[in-house]
Amino acid sequence: MLLRTEQLTKDYGTCRALDHLDLEIKPGEIFGLLGPNGSGKSTALRILLGFLRPTAGKAWIAGHDCWHNSLEARRQVGYLPGELRLYENMTGRQLVRFLGRLRQSTQTDAEIRLARAFDIDTSRPIAELSSGMKRKVALLQVLLPQTPLLILDEPTNTLDPTMRDELLGKLSAARQRGQAVLFSSHVLAEVEKVCDRVGILRKGRLVHMQNVAELREVKRVRARFAGTAAPQFPGIRAVTRHENDWSFEYAGPLPDLLGWLAGQAVQDLKIEPLGLAGIYQKYHGNGA
Amino acid sequence: MMPVLVTKLLRDVRTGLILVCILLAAFQVLWARVTQRISGHILDSLQQLGGLSIEDIRTTVFQGPGQIIQAIMGGEGIRIDHAADMLSISYVHPLTIFILSTWAIGRASGAIAGEIDRGTMELLLAQPIRRSQVVLAHLLVDLWTIPVLCLSMWGGTFLGAYLVGFIGNPRATLAVNPWAFGPGLLNVFLLVFAVSGLTMWLSSAGRFRWRVLGLAVILGLLQFLVNLIGQLWDPAKPFRPFTVFYYYQPQPMMLETSWYQHGDVWLRLGVLAAVGTIGYGMALWTFCKRDLPAPL
Repeated sequence: MLLRTEQLTKDYGTCRALDHLDLEIKPGEIFGLLGPNGSGKSTALRILLGFLRPTAGKAWIAGHDCWHNSLEARRQVGYLPGELRLYENMTGRQLVRFLGRLRQSTQTDAEIRLARAFDIDTSRPIAELSSGMKRKVALLQVLLPQTPLLILDEPTNTLDPTMRDELLGKLSAARQRGQAVLFSSHVLAEVEKVCDRVGILRKGRLVHMQNVAELREVKRVRARFAGTAAPQFPGIRAVTRHENDWSFEYAGPLPDLLGWLAGQAVQDLKIEPLGLAGIYQKYHGNGA
Repeated sequence: MMPVLVTKLLRDVRTGLILVCILLAAFQVLWARVTQRISGHILDSLQQLGGLSIEDIRTTVFQGPGQIIQAIMGGEGIRIDHAADMLSISYVHPLTIFILSTWAIGRASGAIAGEIDRGTMELLLAQPIRRSQVVLAHLLVDLWTIPVLCLSMWGGTFLGAYLVGFIGNPRATLAVNPWAFGPGLLNVFLLVFAVSGLTMWLSSAGRFRWRVLGLAVILGLLQFLVNLIGQLWDPAKPFRPFTVFYYYQPQPMMLETSWYQHGDVWLRLGVLAAVGTIGYGMALWTFCKRDLPAPL
């Protein structure tokens, strides 16, 4: 395992920000951490980076304890903070090279290529850049060293749609190279698009772990039947009814379902992937 | 890794450093001109007009209500008709102490609490760099910048003495050897180091630069006042050794050739060195143990 946490807990006074988090991420995996503000996402990430000392439990990156051997742990990590603050008295290039030198790596060619891909003018002072451009500069310094693990706290904040797609593409490419990515986000669509697994945090607890490939297999079906009998077919679950409108989830081969539906008196039909939204709502929706 | 960080920190302070150096040097030059007026002209005129001796002037001016001036001048041993003695006053002048303390407090308060406040500490410590290296880098910056401040003061004294004609002056009381001021710079260095070390300790535990700055200024001012009041009012005298400014007495090192034979000089230097070292040590310990809060 590249990253492992064991009963990781953080208290701020009487407030428990993170509650016995168990997590494992392997190389070449993209893991999404979901949850509203205050759910413990950033606390978890900050413990992994050695910024916070856990109240209980432990975390390791590449076998290095994140608090006691934080230096070696951080050597494996490229980090993009959620609240981005850069050295405003530097240009983008100066910042990237300064942080690169701290990692004892200078990759001028790769820097130029990536800056071109992100459409950044790195010769401009950071103080003069928009928040989106600043985030691009910060992403540049995160992606350049090609560390085994990337930790990104809400990385697509303030990015335009084109850049967001570009970034998600870069993350997929990182996965191809064997890098692991741990990122937190509020945007379910992008998490679903790029992640292999997703963890949902609620009040500091990991309440749900979801394999995204499995999620893609599950369909949400909304159908209006002429009759009143409940739909019964292998793979159907979570059935709800509102008059003649039925809603259910289906996990199984789609042709089989369609074959079965063809034999029913269906008046209206809508089939869509279940998606993360449905699961997320279960824990963080109004009725959660 | 350390040279990269130290270079960056030096780059950050270079403009401020240049300005403070100019300010310190300019004050020394100005003070040389003031010295020329007092030691060279005013005293002569007073003596000619009223037939007063130097001792009369000292007694009349600096005893009683003038005691505060004497305290600021650096004690009873200063001979106002001697240019070197008068020049040495600029090293203990409240303005000089204010500038040096402002530099030390301003820089050290921003060193850790300032970076946390701005949110850039997170960016820095996300790199493979130890927290102890951050504190040590600031120590190295102090060890580099404080001598520059000292040299700028000495440069100002040299230039001022040269411009007003003290160097090589045929009158013994007005003749100044600028090299004699060199040993006193050690005391200047250690005062700035001590104030910087104490502020660094506060900074290492703080989250907001302005809060640390305010606290350090209050502590500094309090120490300055206790030391000053202790010089003017005997009941407050026992409290003076609890202030760093009590240990800042560079004049004997500048005016006495055998200063190094006096144990109390070394004691004062030792205390300031210890305060600065303890301050940095505590900063190291505090910063390495603490949680790093998210920027607001």
